[in-house]
Amino acid sequence: MKLTKTTMAAALAAAAFLAGCTELSQEPARSYAGKEDAKPYAGDEFKGDKQKWEKALAARADNQNEYLRTPQAPAK
Amino acid sequence: MARMKFICDAERCIECNGCVTACKNEHEVPWGVNRRRLVTVKDGVPGERSISVACMHCSDAPCMAVCPVDCFYKTDEGIVLHDKDLCIGCGYCFYACPFGAPQFPQAGAFGLRGKMDKCTYCAGGPEENASADEYRKYGRNRLAEGKLPACAEMCSTKALLAGDGEVITKIYRTRVTTRGKGDEIWGWAMAYGGSAKLADLPGGRA
Repeated sequence: MKLTKTTMAAALAAAAFLAGCTELSQEPARSYAGKEDAKPYAGDEFKGDKQKWEKALAARADNQNEYLRTPQAPAK
Repeated sequence: MARMKFICDAERCIECNGCVTACKNEHEVPWGVNRRRLVTVKDGVPGERSISVACMHCSDAPCMAVCPVDCFYKTDEGIVLHDKDLCIGCGYCFYACPFGAPQFPQAGAFGLRGKMDKCTYCAGGPEENASADEYRKYGRNRLAEGKLPACAEMCSTKALLAGDGEVITKIYRTRVTTRGKGDEIWGWAMAYGGSAKLADLPGGRA
């Protein structure tokens, strides 16, 4: 009986200790009460094609890197 | 796709206010409301730096946590948006936001506050994409047109970068390795202590 109590106490202590290692959820704790928003790729432009939309945005993002747009300087 | 983010490279920002003007013009933001603005430190003395600040579209947004009417939501791309039809203009989000992003237009006499307005990452709001209602309440939805936010695309020195977090971090890394200096993440040491160098951060190899 005494052993069971000690084991249970140890198990509880271990559970409480390990709870600190739990990864907290990144999901918002509160729910959204407003209207549903349409997906950005749902309109006439992309007609629900998410991959095409992502490709268009990736091209735009890469275009911000002028090292890709300008010719490489000649080696000295 | 990862998460949509902004990065402002303090080594490049020349305080031209082009991003502020682009945002104002693109969304016809009312007088007195600034979705984006420039913050300058050490103005006029050596070591002067400017950064462009707007809503940072936080991963764990404090504005979402404090809103009493739950009008905030986050898109699949990590953009924090809100429903103006639900907003009561209480101002809690303004107090909660560490960047001062939520803005309140004057809605009448005696300084009466209107509904909250903030940077939408040019992603509109909970209305039909590219509709007149969406434009009137939230501004233009450039993301639905396959474009990035106007502020970043307008930036003349490309100090302000917008896009997928992984892509723009890569661009930033290329810059600091090419120019051989300025790989300090501006404000990092002040906020968290230790080294501010990109290369010294966990997993960071500039």
